[in-house]
Amino acid sequence: MEAELTKPHPKAGQTAVWQARLIMLVMINIAQLWILAATVDAALARHYSVLLPLVVASGVCLLITLSIIKWWRPTSRQKTSTGYVRGHDR
Amino acid sequence: MADENDVRAATAPYQAEFPYERDEEAQVTRREFCNFLGLTSAALFAGAAGFATKAALDARASESLPAAHIEGAETLAPNSSLNFHYPGERDSAILVRTADGAYHAYGQKCTHLSCPVYYSRDHRRLECPCHEGAFDAGTGNVLYGPPPRALDTIEVEVREGQVWATGRTAARPGNGG
Repeated sequence: MEAELTKPHPKAGQTAVWQARLIMLVMINIAQLWILAATVDAALARHYSVLLPLVVASGVCLLITLSIIKWWRPTSRQKTSTGYVRGHDR
Repeated sequence: MADENDVRAATAPYQAEFPYERDEEAQVTRREFCNFLGLTSAALFAGAAGFATKAALDARASESLPAAHIEGAETLAPNSSLNFHYPGERDSAILVRTADGAYHAYGQKCTHLSCPVYYSRDHRRLECPCHEGAFDAGTGNVLYGPPPRALDTIEVEVREGQVWATGRTAARPGNGG
């Protein structure tokens, strides 16, 4: 009984990871919003040389966003990335 | 309510201990919010790519435009202006007859953020009301304000007493800015 109480909760720490993911995604969205504004500004000013770098930067932001959503998930405290179950032999 | 049948049963222990209201269940979860941010990111990328593509295509577009008669330009008094469309119906333009009687025509979109410019008789210049930019009525060059380049110039010819628009030239960055 006492061992169960001291055992870390399986979801402990996942909230922090979720919050971190959300904060990163919001920051990337804000950066992309700025890039879009800069793209509009450059297009209207006919600064064509900066258009491609801006679009590439926005694409990199999108890739980072997708990677955060798809792959940077909170890991389980019970299992390692290789499938090993922690504390199974106890 | 019609969707009351879709309410999930409170199966988990914490749901029984801390029951939440029906309205709270409709709130967005973190996972849904993450997905929403992902969609927003994709939309922002598409917007930037689309705007850049359109600008690049516009830059490569042929500049050989047909001549068009500007209705009512002959009776335009000096130190006044007339709005017209050139080359297309959606391309608003402004014809200015300066105090010396010369005709000058420009695209009406401000080069800053595309607000329509108007001719100020008092100041004898083209002004943008959105962000207080101003252009020279005789050249289209920027006098002051945020516009990064001069207005698009529309070539004007007087043929047998009639005023014709014969072409349109986009100013390059820094031209009069």
